[in-house]
Amino acid sequence: MQTNLLELQKTLQNFGVLISFSGRFSQEIIEELGDAVKKYLETESISQTETYNVFSIFIEQTQNIKNYCGRKAASPNLDRIANSGIVTIGKSTHGHYVSAGNLIEVADTQKFTAQLDIVAAMDKMALKQYYKQQLKADIPPGSNGAGLGLIDMARKASRPLEYSIQKIDQAVCFFTLKAYV
Amino acid sequence: MEALVIEQTKSTPAIYFDPVVNLLSIKGQSYPENSFKFYEPVFAWLDEYLGQVEQQVTARINFHMPYINTSSSKCLMMLLEKLENAHQNGKQVSVLWYYDPENETALECAEDFKEDLTLPFDLKPMEEAKQ
Repeated sequence: MQTNLLELQKTLQNFGVLISFSGRFSQEIIEELGDAVKKYLETESISQTETYNVFSIFIEQTQNIKNYCGRKAASPNLDRIANSGIVTIGKSTHGHYVSAGNLIEVADTQKFTAQLDIVAAMDKMALKQYYKQQLKADIPPGSNGAGLGLIDMARKASRPLEYSIQKIDQAVCFFTLKAYV
Repeated sequence: MEALVIEQTKSTPAIYFDPVVNLLSIKGQSYPENSFKFYEPVFAWLDEYLGQVEQQVTARINFHMPYINTSSSKCLMMLLEKLENAHQNGKQVSVLWYYDPENETALECAEDFKEDLTLPFDLKPMEEAKQ
């Protein structure tokens, strides 16, 4: 067991991971981890703007995953999805990054990629316009999010958002989103 | 009409809306589990207040929010639109928005809100950036 944990730690270090959490996201966990992220970044010699952007992307990614679980409350895949969340904050040659992943239902993949591709095609100016348009748009009934998270992350990121979708079985895929600050 | 007082938590701001002195204040970070649920009573209070506030009175609204997630931003935009409507209907409302001068993103966020609104909206740097 100890050896395995050491291997896990080495793997995390190889990926440049500084902070990670894997499991079921709750609001309390998001708040506590968010504090840890902020405190950690304050010890690094980076600007307040950069710290704020990492924190902000961390909150959007984790709340997105939690909200997705909320929308799947009636799904037979709920338990698998709710337990599949993972978030990592790390450092690479491109700067700090926030990367999070979770299982999503196969039927939702097209909606995810369509939205991501719209955002990926935009420059900062277009993102700002799109953000403001969505900020003022009516909220879809029953929605807990504002449909702004992805646009906001893309605006705060220093590089285009990266994502991958890996098929697990007939029901679910594993979705990963990575944002560099 | 009674004051609206909501205590601050780690992820929700302190709300202090006083109809006697016509000062509305929102202070603290905002990233609740459910933003729409959190801001619902705030909207309800504001609708009633703006409906009854007299034309010669100036209502001041102070925002002092170091971090706002996107669903809270949506709610704040809805709140600002209520104020903008009141302004267009001849009521006197004035917004004061404090921001951390060391944080470029926070200033951009404030400008996103301010743009397209016609009501008086002042951006003021905080002397000391307190998270």
